[in-house]
Amino acid sequence: MQTDCANVVDVEHLAKQFGHVVALVDLTLHVRKGEIFGFLGPNGAGKTTSVKLLAGLARPSAGSGTLLGYPLGDRRARRRLGYLPELFRYHDWLTAREVLALHARLIGERVHVRDLDAALQTVGLRARAGDRVGTFSKGMQQRLGLAVALLGNPELVILDEPTSALDPAGRLEVREILRGLRDRGVSVFLNSHLLTEVEKVCDRIAIVTRGRVVAQGTIPEIAGASAGVRVRVRENGTPLTQALAEYGPYTRDGEHIFAPEVHADRIPALVAALVAAGAQVYAVEPASTTLEERFLQLTQERGA
Amino acid sequence: MIEIAALTLKELVRRRFVAGAFVATAALVALTGWGFFYLNHLHEARGRPVTHLEVLTMTSVLLILIAYLFSFLLAMAAVFIAAPTLSNDIETGVLLPVLARPLSRGAILAGKGVALAIVIAAYAILTGACEFAIVNAATGYVPPAPAASLAYLALSGIVMTAFALLLSTRMSALGASIVAVVAFIIVRLGGIAQNVGMYYDNETVRHAGTLTQLLLPSDAMWQSALFRLEPAGMVAAMSDAHVWPGPFFTTAPPPPAMLVWTCAWIVAVALLAARSFALRDL
Repeated sequence: MQTDCANVVDVEHLAKQFGHVVALVDLTLHVRKGEIFGFLGPNGAGKTTSVKLLAGLARPSAGSGTLLGYPLGDRRARRRLGYLPELFRYHDWLTAREVLALHARLIGERVHVRDLDAALQTVGLRARAGDRVGTFSKGMQQRLGLAVALLGNPELVILDEPTSALDPAGRLEVREILRGLRDRGVSVFLNSHLLTEVEKVCDRIAIVTRGRVVAQGTIPEIAGASAGVRVRVRENGTPLTQALAEYGPYTRDGEHIFAPEVHADRIPALVAALVAAGAQVYAVEPASTTLEERFLQLTQERGA
Repeated sequence: MIEIAALTLKELVRRRFVAGAFVATAALVALTGWGFFYLNHLHEARGRPVTHLEVLTMTSVLLILIAYLFSFLLAMAAVFIAAPTLSNDIETGVLLPVLARPLSRGAILAGKGVALAIVIAAYAILTGACEFAIVNAATGYVPPAPAASLAYLALSGIVMTAFALLLSTRMSALGASIVAVVAFIIVRLGGIAQNVGMYYDNETVRHAGTLTQLLLPSDAMWQSALFRLEPAGMVAAMSDAHVWPGPFFTTAPPPPAMLVWTCAWIVAVALLAARSFALRDL
């Protein structure tokens, strides 16, 4: 089978039904090698079911696909896969180091203790390496889960809500870890409903709702192009009407000006014109349809 | 598979199952040992002497009763250890990251099954051997075929382990435990019904009992173990007198083919459990 194909995930029309409950209707996805792919959707959209199908924990009712070049569920793909489940629990009677050692053995890796400790260091658990997992907080268990997922140099890491139990500092650390993975050419499939998190790290995203993928692409492709600029200015006696004349219609509310037709590449010129007119510019904010707005639009359209 | 088997054994030790069972069973063996020692030093009762032959006879009967109760204990231990080992791991999510590793579900199940079977068999054999040893030390009595009896007892525990594991591939720990215990009791009653059917020459009742033993051969293995604890003279006396031996004795053990059937049954149930687990969505 292929191992160096451009896509690490290729699935077509995957569907999953649990008894009478339809969890997934049509999942068609392509995740490229070396990218961080965000998988977004509201609660109950079928995200975790999709992840389980990819990880081979459930079998699709219809459709087909490949993971790392192998058919879904193939054990050979799992040798190069890292996985952090949404419901992250590890053997609470083992120490953190023992959990990592167990997983190293399960993937057939001969890993030295210092490598295990290095993995724990990456997720900030080095000091607790010898402690039993049962004594860990939820956030620490999630960190351990991340270390387990990163073990053995995987080519693809599937993370299902990897920061759900982490504090803001922890989330920042995870973002850094994800960027580090991308720099090393590791692909990341990030399942999350935290839009800000996805916006900050993902190269491409897919939005799934009611079991269907409704959008797939880069964030600008999905969120849409620039939609004007917001400027906060203070006049210096001279009216700004003339300076703003060639930038289309605008609205003004005290110091705040919103020019909806100004494209991003004209913002520097607008600022220069305002300054030339004697205004003091305090803030410039390019306006665009946010991912959140687009997400709500897409998921509510389908929900209606 | 070896990794999972080692992990399962480590869990039983770390969670103090082994230590708990050791302490509780040691207390049981010590207590019965004291009883047998006391019995052996009973030289007179109700104004008449108690002979050594009488002590040995009483010891053999009491040992069978202890074995009967122990067979229940063993079955419960097998069920309550085997039923949660898979279903709890599934329910809590502990198994998810393990299943995402490149090993088959069959290997996971086999690892757990082998480890549990070893523990249950070792528990049966070690406890039984200690009991026999203490009885021998206290009274000088040795059952007719102690090793064979323990082997059959261990097999009955392995049967219940395999059955509980099969159930746990699809049911919760509690559900699997309840079903396994009820099935064990039904089959134990089936064994008694089989004996009653034989005594009254009633083919229907006898076959019903045999059928339950084929479906879950835990009682067949118990009866095989029981027969090897019964002194030959006692069996002959009961057979000659044509009396119903009661639920604690048997004059007609299961045929040798039942041993072959039981081994095949364990393999078949293990394969069925592997198939059931492999097809389960998590």
